[in-house]
Amino acid sequence: MVNPLRLIGYFLWIGKEIVSGTVDIVVALITPRGYSSPMIVQLPLRCTTDLEIAMFASSITITPGTLVAAIAASDGAEDPPTLFVHALFSDSEEEAMDGLYDMEARLLTAMRGKPPRPAVEVFGSGAS
Amino acid sequence: MTTVVDVFIAFCVLSGSLLVLVSALAMFRAKDALSRINVFSPATGLGMPLVVLGCYAYTLQQEGFSVYRLLIAIIAFFSLIIVSSIASNTLSRSTLLSGSPVHRYTRPNRLAYAQGEDPREDGAAGGRGFGDAQGETQGDAQDDDDPTAS
Repeated sequence: MVNPLRLIGYFLWIGKEIVSGTVDIVVALITPRGYSSPMIVQLPLRCTTDLEIAMFASSITITPGTLVAAIAASDGAEDPPTLFVHALFSDSEEEAMDGLYDMEARLLTAMRGKPPRPAVEVFGSGAS
Repeated sequence: MTTVVDVFIAFCVLSGSLLVLVSALAMFRAKDALSRINVFSPATGLGMPLVVLGCYAYTLQQEGFSVYRLLIAIIAFFSLIIVSSIASNTLSRSTLLSGSPVHRYTRPNRLAYAQGEDPREDGAAGGRGFGDAQGETQGDAQDDDDPTAS
């Protein structure tokens, strides 16, 4: 059940993330080794419907510093839909995945009205 | 009061255009095609909407309120943000499908692993690109222990 107030709150939070990501890019422009540690992480999703996946992919891409590079569809019961995310300013893979799962939890809380199960619980400890 | 509005308009338009400039400079410094698409999002996601906001405040100050103009401004504001994200998704997908190499410091590169390009998880060749990028990056991999590489 979509919660309109939470959805508005989510869009405001996305606005805040856009501003902070922009600050990251401006800071990296004037630091010597600014853009030289990109990474592509594999992100299994807790989103299930097409709308949730599309909104999450768009939210990731609109945030400066993260970009959805490829989407793998779910092929049955075992494999969840998976995003491959190009991240520019993360220190480690864990940090990048934690930030993305935090965004997914906020989106799913707004879309479903209740928070999803933690990613560690769903995908095991290797996922986060 | 008009001074405050003027300062607000100047702030919006100038910072918006500065963000477009910053994105253009960042595209020069980024290393590969994916990073260039990535660092371009401040221009379309924040810079252009700020310019639209400043322009709307300017017409509001000069010509007074009009529902029609407000509608145009709101549609332009949100279209820019939505189109920016969808266009970036499409661009990055076509970049990868065209076989453009990713930068060799892209580490870990889970996509290369998932496509079967590199069976090791993130070894020395973790930054290897797709398809024809292989020959190009082999000379650059620092401690590549792959017997086929040398």
